[in-house]
Amino acid sequence: MNTPVNDIIISNLSKTYGAGKKKVYVVKNISLTVEKGTVFGFIGPNGAGKTSTIKMLVGLSRPTSGTITIKGGTPDDQKVKQVLGFMPESPLFYQYLTGQEFLDFIATLFKIENKEVKIKNVLTEVNLLHAKDKRIRAYSKGMLQRLGLAQAIINDPEILFLDEPLDGLDPLGRAEVKKIILALKKKGKTIFINTHILGDVAEICDKVGVIDNGEMIAIDSPSKLSHGYRDLEDTFVNLITKRRAAPIIQSSSLTPNE
Amino acid sequence: MLKNILAISKNTFRETVRDRILLSAFFVIIAMIVFTLFIASISLEQSTRMIIDFSTTAIYALQIFVAIFIGSMLIYKEIERKTFYLILPKPITQIEIIIGKCLGLTLTTVVVTLLSTTVLFAILFFQGGQIFFWPILASVLMSTLEAILLILVSILFSGITSPILASVSTVAIFVIGHAEGIFRYMFMTTQIPAIEFVAKVVYYILPNLEKFNIRNDIIHGIVPSLEMILTAVLYGVSYALLLLVITQRAFRGKDY
Repeated sequence: MNTPVNDIIISNLSKTYGAGKKKVYVVKNISLTVEKGTVFGFIGPNGAGKTSTIKMLVGLSRPTSGTITIKGGTPDDQKVKQVLGFMPESPLFYQYLTGQEFLDFIATLFKIENKEVKIKNVLTEVNLLHAKDKRIRAYSKGMLQRLGLAQAIINDPEILFLDEPLDGLDPLGRAEVKKIILALKKKGKTIFINTHILGDVAEICDKVGVIDNGEMIAIDSPSKLSHGYRDLEDTFVNLITKRRAAPIIQSSSLTPNE
Repeated sequence: MLKNILAISKNTFRETVRDRILLSAFFVIIAMIVFTLFIASISLEQSTRMIIDFSTTAIYALQIFVAIFIGSMLIYKEIERKTFYLILPKPITQIEIIIGKCLGLTLTTVVVTLLSTTVLFAILFFQGGQIFFWPILASVLMSTLEAILLILVSILFSGITSPILASVSTVAIFVIGHAEGIFRYMFMTTQIPAIEFVAKVVYYILPNLEKFNIRNDIIHGIVPSLEMILTAVLYGVSYALLLLVITQRAFRGKDY
């Protein structure tokens, strides 16, 4: 039997702001692993610490303590960056560039050969080929999300970090983006996805971590996590409510019977 | 490294030349240069001098506008609009981004300078008088060097404060940089040690931008010596390198 390879290893990760009495934990002592070729859903209410965590994972901010290992390196390693894809929450672009120009710029940073073909393929994949020469400022919300996804997958990354990729989209837009994520999952990409749209999590994710107030309160497969509950949303609401009511209870002991 | 810097500078150039603020400023300056024809027509036997004087000042104003106001927005906009989120996780270093941004805005400055200087030469040509090609070119090149230094100063400030504060701080550096004579006079004549110390610090640490000002000479047709130009270029390049190092330090370990 093959030993699973962990693409992402997070150990005792914390991020604080301020000092002394004003010290605030936005992420507190989080540890988790994401196996190669799996999709990890990081779910939590607004302000739980999801974006702060993903920003540390892609090198946009530095942990106060703890370690992050991605493909054996740190998020700042150029070799690691070469195999990463990141789509931020509600991505914003250079307004005066066209979609094609922006992707050309990103492709140059990745030193992609045969850029034109690659850009065309990616634009086709995210259904934006028709708008490639349009200035980004004229793009709709759904088009911006898809361009965000396009720039994240242009280097054919081994690991993808997606921050709220389904946020703010209408049902049609959501279905389109979900389809792309499922296609990436099928290709065997390791995906770390931040979301609070729980309906789609069970379908997309192999494993789910629930975070609240910066702390990881549960981590398991969606089916195991929602066992005994109506669905994942019911699980999520119950876990958060119980945690907030009894913060001293260990997260692993939070079960439907409690 | 070079490919990344060129990609960032190309992107910055594209973004800035398409910015309506720059386009508006550029057309205002072109209108001002054309307007010198009217001023020349009412000046007695001083028409060429008036055209050169007004136009080189207008071109200089455009360069300073690009350096201070567009430069101050450059990094701040990336952070505020979170476009940095798309760039920093890519295989690129912060110093490549800073140099690329500076080069891109320098290219924008050079292009608007070339276009407006061409308009000036065209006006002088149609006016029928002497064109003063080399003196004007030398003056414009020197002011471009000053603009590059100010671009670096504004990029440094825009990474650590808001655009308004960055603009104000860069304007302050610009004003002090042109008042070096006052500070020199202060530390040489003052009897108060504290004032002498402050004046000396300002004089030696802040950039002496008057080194790049030869506009007064060229309206009399005087071309500065090659030695003077080379000294100014060397000073500008050394100061630019120092600013790059400071900017890199200021950005190191920054959270976005």
